[in-house]
Amino acid sequence: MSFFADAFHLFVRSMKKLVRNPILVFFSLFQPIIFLLLFTQLFSGLGRFLGAGVLSYTAFATAGIVLQNAFSSAFQSGTAVVDDIKSGFLSKMLATPVNRSAILFGRLLSDVFRVVVQTVIILVLAYALGVYPATGAIGYLLVIFTVAFFGLAWSGISLALGLKTKSAETVFGIAGAVTFPLLFMSTALVTAGFMPSWMQSVSTFNPVSIAVNAIRNPITGCNVNQTICNVGFDWNTILQAFGVIGGIGIITLGATLYLFRKVVS
Amino acid sequence: MPGIIDVSQLVKTYGDGTKAVKGISFRVDEGEFFGFLGPNGAGKSTTIKILTTLLQKTSGSASVAGLNVDSDAPKIRKIIGVQNQDTVVDEDLTGRENLVLQGQLQQMHSAAIKERVDELLKIVDLADAADKRAGFYSGGMKKRLDLATTLVHNPKILFLDEPTTGLDPQSRAAIWAHLKKLNEQGITIFITTQYLEEVDRLCRRLAIVDLGEIVAQGSPGELKQEIGADSISLGFENSSMNGGDTRKRAREVLQNRFDRISNVVDSDIGLTVYAKNGSYMVPELVRAFDEAQIRLSTIGVSSPTLDDVFLKHTGKRIRVEEVSSANMRGMFGRRRR
Repeated sequence: MSFFADAFHLFVRSMKKLVRNPILVFFSLFQPIIFLLLFTQLFSGLGRFLGAGVLSYTAFATAGIVLQNAFSSAFQSGTAVVDDIKSGFLSKMLATPVNRSAILFGRLLSDVFRVVVQTVIILVLAYALGVYPATGAIGYLLVIFTVAFFGLAWSGISLALGLKTKSAETVFGIAGAVTFPLLFMSTALVTAGFMPSWMQSVSTFNPVSIAVNAIRNPITGCNVNQTICNVGFDWNTILQAFGVIGGIGIITLGATLYLFRKVVS
Repeated sequence: MPGIIDVSQLVKTYGDGTKAVKGISFRVDEGEFFGFLGPNGAGKSTTIKILTTLLQKTSGSASVAGLNVDSDAPKIRKIIGVQNQDTVVDEDLTGRENLVLQGQLQQMHSAAIKERVDELLKIVDLADAADKRAGFYSGGMKKRLDLATTLVHNPKILFLDEPTTGLDPQSRAAIWAHLKKLNEQGITIFITTQYLEEVDRLCRRLAIVDLGEIVAQGSPGELKQEIGADSISLGFENSSMNGGDTRKRAREVLQNRFDRISNVVDSDIGLTVYAKNGSYMVPELVRAFDEAQIRLSTIGVSSPTLDDVFLKHTGKRIRVEEVSSANMRGMFGRRRR
């Protein structure tokens, strides 16, 4: 009982902190929105080279941009934990009977909630730019669910780094170093066929590609290579992504739990 | 009857081999205001962390309200309030929200939380600022809020690690007044601090730790009595001109005519003499120096303070920061001249 109540109270705390620091939300939304508004225009001519199904580059890139957003906001999770360790707030919580795991769960809950809200903002903006979901409302719910799931797994990396290094700078540094290589060597912004062959091989195993393909299918309604459209839900791609994200999540959240136990014991 | 805090042969060795606490034993009785003093790195914070269940001990035993710090940690957390050395409040939350969250983490019922929070806001004089974010509070207000957060669940014991360090004298006095009141209401207080006057005034008993061991324990009165000597400060006229000579002659006078003196040391203005019942010596001293034609400019007697006690047992003065800031003032003063 106390687990859920404790987690909920800490979730509310994180939400209040977030709402009262709108600058944080602004910064993590700023880049995706610039991509959505400017980058897609810059490369609007690219669409026809990518595949027969790509009618609009904006629609194609929306999936990548949504994922990039999940990426950058999940990476802020670890810095929030570092803040609590450094300020002594974690110690203060630990001197109360609060459920230990609830501290972590409340944090993850607020991370997921945040990613969902930001994803909705981006999707609404994309809608205004003419990106209509090929698979309807259910498709969008699936997109939001997948992004949230991905955000959760990715928060684990950031949390584990934060707990291990206890340094916000390190978390930010590693986040910055990892984000763009993973994003650019994935199908987030172009199809695999558009890449040089060595990069194609990397992209195949890049979890970002796997996740982005599962997010793109409900939006464009096309197959992975964007050659055939109006295929509806491509369950192969979607389920494969869930498997991979799930695997990553187990590792990252497992590491987080382990490191958290070490910090609180 | 066991004490409300019972520590026996407590040892803490950190992973890197550092022995922070080397087998200390002490007890605190219910309702006591107990001072736990020592220089930096003496093992005070480590001991507090063990007693507040934030750190595992290496060996020995420690209990709080009869509960074992290892096996009964969750029960202990419900009856203790812990204030860190740093002020810990969530600056994004209002004062009220900080208190409510603490009540929630203590798993109190929401009606009870509301009532208690209103009451506490009045007690620590934050009712007017209750709905402002703590980030906008002054240092003193934050500290009072921090103190209030440790009280939401009506703890039996308060652990305070340097609760007034870094505060201006007025805020410091306010915090001490709150602590005094809390103690009068029956809360046991376990405190580490650098402010020995307050310890002297408020603590019924204290322990001094140094290098992980307890070097002295007792009431402030007992400990001061152990020092056994008052200090008599003598200032000589013209002591700067031929000071060396005056001091030498004065020392001879003291040696020849007084046998109750335990120690004599040089001071800025002349000499400091340590002796039992110092005030009774003053008339004799004045007469003796007059006869020897050494002209005194000032003479003052003070009884031993906890500062002297601390110095005797640890070889260090407690207020490192204040001493250095006094030196700074001296330096600037000299430069101006």
